[in-house]
Formats: sequence, C-alpha cells, structure tokens
Amino acid sequence: MPFKYKLEILAILAVLGFCALFLYTSSIMSDAKFAGSDTVGSSQIAEMTGKAEDEFQPLIWQWTPPSGEIESALFALQAAIGGIIVGWVFGYWKRQKKKTA
Amino acid sequence: MHIMEGFLPLDWAVFWWIIALPCMAFGIYRLKKVLEADREALPLLGVTGGFMFILSSLKLPSVTGSSSHPTGTGLSTICFGPWITSVVAAIVLLFQALFLAHGGLSTLGANIISMGVVGPLAGYGVYRALRETRVNMYLTVFLVCALADLLTYITTSLELALAYPAEVGGVSSSFILFIGIFAITQVPLAIVEGVVLALVFKYIVQLKPEILLRLKIFPEEKIRAARSEA
Repeated sequence: MPFKYKLEILAILAVLGFCALFLYTSSIMSDAKFAGSDTVGSSQIAEMTGKAEDEFQPLIWQWTPPSGEIESALFALQAAIGGIIVGWVFGYWKRQKKKTA
Repeated sequence: MHIMEGFLPLDWAVFWWIIALPCMAFGIYRLKKVLEADREALPLLGVTGGFMFILSSLKLPSVTGSSSHPTGTGLSTICFGPWITSVVAAIVLLFQALFLAHGGLSTLGANIISMGVVGPLAGYGVYRALRETRVNMYLTVFLVCALADLLTYITTSLELALAYPAEVGGVSSSFILFIGIFAITQVPLAIVEGVVLALVFKYIVQLKPEILLRLKIFPEEKIRAARSEA
C-alpha cells in the first residue's frame, strides 16, 4: 500500500463499509422504509401528543415543493451550488500555485 | 436534524431564536474581522461553506431503517471557529427552509443552535484540546467533524425533549427516545463524514498550506510534516 494514499484508501473503505451496512440493514429489516429521521421524529411527536401530524400547523407560512421530484431537484441544486464553489476555489488555488512555482 | 415547521411550540421557537441571534451577530462580527485581516481567507470560507452545502444535501440511509444527512460543519469549525460556522450554517438552513420545506422559519433558531452552534462548539473543544498535542492532524480533523455532526443530532433530541417531555419520566425519558431516532441513525454517517472531510483537509494542506499557516489553524511543524509525507 503506497503510504501517500493512506487517507484515500481509508475514505474508500469507510464509504464501502457504509454501503455494506446499508445492504445488511435493508436485508434484515425488510419493512424499513428509510424515511428521513426528521419525518420519523415528527411522527414520534404526533404520537406523544396524541395529535395527528397535520394538526401541527406551520407558525410561519411555508412553501412546500409540489412533488418529491421537485424536492430532489432542489436538493441536487443545493449540492451543485456547493460543488461549484468548491471546484472553483480548488481551481483558483491550483492556478495560484502554478503562477508562483 | 431539522425540526419541522410547526413542530416546536411558539415559546420554544422564540427561546431558541433569542439564543441563536447573538451567536450569529458575533459570527458576522468575527467574519468581518477575519476578512479584513486577510482577503485570502475568503476562498477557504467558500470551500468550507461549499462542503456544508454538499454534505447537508445528501440524505443517506442508516442502520435504524431511516435516513439522515451529514452536516459538514466540522471543516469550517476548524478553520474559522464555531461563531462564523453558525452564520454559514444559517445560510444552508435558510435555503432548506425556504425551498425544501426541511425545517422552517419559526424552527430555524433551534436548528441553527443544533447545527451551527452546539455541534461546532463541541468540535471546537476537541480541536483546541488536540491542536498542540502530538495527535495526528488528520485524526484531529476526523474527530472534530464526526463529533460536530453527532452533537448536532443530540442537541436536536434535547430541543425536542424539552418541548415535549414524556408523561412518564419527563424530559429525560423523552430525550432517550429522540436520541434513539436521531443520534443512533447518525453514528455511521458521522464516521463517514469525519473520514471524508479529513481527506478534503489533506487536499487543502497540499494546495494552499499558506492560508492554513497564516490563519494559524495548525502549528507549522504539523503542516510541514503532513506535506512532506504526501
């Protein structure tokens, strides 16, 4: 194992381990829906208070994405914004490094 | 870790907003100081904020049969401290409250406290404790990022437990219940986030060590040693 890439190999192993864990979990918990923990937390509150979930009215009006697909698109947009900034800065640093070299 | 709009009673929503506002105000003040002193800190802020945007958009399945997302706040905590991190986290959370209906405007204060203040503060404590020691720099980054992530979800559990104490056992038993939902789900995610951000930090060390030295993020010897290894 080349010493130089120790951290890269560790990161790949961590991600692979995470995937394996998911496969294992989904095989032993066949009824698991993998809903967001926010949603699970909200239903827990509803259960504790004895109220239906839709009785929790927003205190401040909120726009909700009209469909799951649009929500996914907006999540992808959020990641893209982050990706663009990170990519731009790494490129900027690389260019600076070349100039000074 | 988002508390959904309407799921926090008005008094608790206001309470968390009152704590969050001064944290952010101090963060904006600190940010101004840092950028006045060194304009080259701005791209680094971009990278740390960018990773917060990316990581908090990824909803990943976990061991409890539900999904959750990393927070990505650790990198910014190390480079800029918890207060500036609270400002960047507030921007991410505002985006999600406005466009994704994840969290809401009334619960934004509570969500800023968990993701932008308590998580990063815990991470910052670890960073300050390990910065000058012989502990490997990347291991420090890993621990800070993983802990900032995990503590965020523990704080959310506490915020909900305070607002909704159980009939039997009160706040503490309700806290354990919410920990089961939020924090256990988060453990594997926090570990992966820690490793990935440690790797990102390695690339920053390789590409732009000057800025890390100027901002005195890690002692010079540690950064030099890490560079000569690669």
